[in-house]
Amino acid sequence: MMISGNSPYDRPYAMYTPDGRLLQVEYASEAVKYGSPVVAVRGKDFAIMVARTKDTDPLLDPIEKIHMVDENIGAAGAGFTGDINLLVDQARVEAQRHRLVFEDPIDVKSVVNHLGQFMYSFTRYGGVRPLGAALIVVGSDRIGKHLYQLDPRGLILSGKALAIGKNSEDAIQLLKAEYKQDMPRKEALDLAIRALSKAEDGESPIEVGVALGKTFKKMSLEEAKRTIM
Amino acid sequence: MTTIVGLKCVDSVVLASDSRASKGGMIGSKGVKKIYLIDETKAVAIAGQLSDANYLINLVKAEAKLMEFNRGFPLTVKEVAKLLSNMLYSGMRSYAPFITEMLVAGVDDSGPQLFEADISGAVTDENFTSSGSGSPMAYGVLESTYRAALTPEEGVEIASKAVKSAIERDPGSGNGVQILVITPKGAEWHNMGGA
Repeated sequence: MMISGNSPYDRPYAMYTPDGRLLQVEYASEAVKYGSPVVAVRGKDFAIMVARTKDTDPLLDPIEKIHMVDENIGAAGAGFTGDINLLVDQARVEAQRHRLVFEDPIDVKSVVNHLGQFMYSFTRYGGVRPLGAALIVVGSDRIGKHLYQLDPRGLILSGKALAIGKNSEDAIQLLKAEYKQDMPRKEALDLAIRALSKAEDGESPIEVGVALGKTFKKMSLEEAKRTIM
Repeated sequence: MTTIVGLKCVDSVVLASDSRASKGGMIGSKGVKKIYLIDETKAVAIAGQLSDANYLINLVKAEAKLMEFNRGFPLTVKEVAKLLSNMLYSGMRSYAPFITEMLVAGVDDSGPQLFEADISGAVTDENFTSSGSGSPMAYGVLESTYRAALTPEEGVEIASKAVKSAIERDPGSGNGVQILVITPKGAEWHNMGGA
């Protein structure tokens, strides 16, 4: 995209350009493209997400990429870590709020709607910064397994296969070419890993989030291969 | 005052009530409605202060509809009962209790459901239950005739007998029996008449 050098429109946070754009929000979307990618695939009775842990330094523990929201929901983000953590925290609080009111786990769409509104609110007020993060939310609830994607505009997408972060277009290209309706779990995991590798190669361990039955579980790739049989 | 009864049957729930509204020692109304639909497959039977109960039901109906629009599928019966009980509880805790007891009944994904929520916000899961001044008489019938795996027709018969027994001996209950049968397909009213 074009970065306008001396444009006065990219400074106030919630101000339109004459052609109807919100530059701060667009810049936030750019930030997402620097984040390490996340890929998610949904099948008939399951949904999975994969991401590579960031190994920053041999002396440091790898930074976890997939976060538990509740027993039945997980999320992984691309973009500024602090912004992702804020979103995950919001999701966790909303999930527990629902449990307090209903004594039942929250459904995936309600969490995503809440996060979408939260992110959107940063595009409407001055003095705030749109969150530089996109999020993939995977989970299981009474009506099925779900994949959702959120971006800095507060846009909510759901689908059968999603990717966010660095080179996500490459991952999406592979997903488009090879995704099949009602894929077996093993094939879906394999496709997700290959799509992730298209976007980012690396040596660090891959984390897998699996929504199966009533729960969402975070695990290593080896464990995932055993679990989803 | 009042007699209300609820019982679980096979794939269905039955709610029954009398039709009398009492005003002190007087009969305030002879044809009052005590069973309210929340949606096509959920309903609440009320005992106690009519105004309090109506207020809570209106709020829960609105909340249930909003939640269904937002998340794309309806509330469970338990969720409706919890919404009501949360308001009852906060009422009790703020020294302005809602003077009402409610039977929340319906059919959802997990089958027929029946809950009772009282003035304190306590919710209990029941197979059959009764509330109101006529409940001791109604319980006599329910305890001796209720069994698992009743057909809806049998349920209607038992519920109607329970409310009628209460009407015979409880001065706070009377003026005919109203019955609602809820199945997965929807709710059906039975008016047993009488004054």
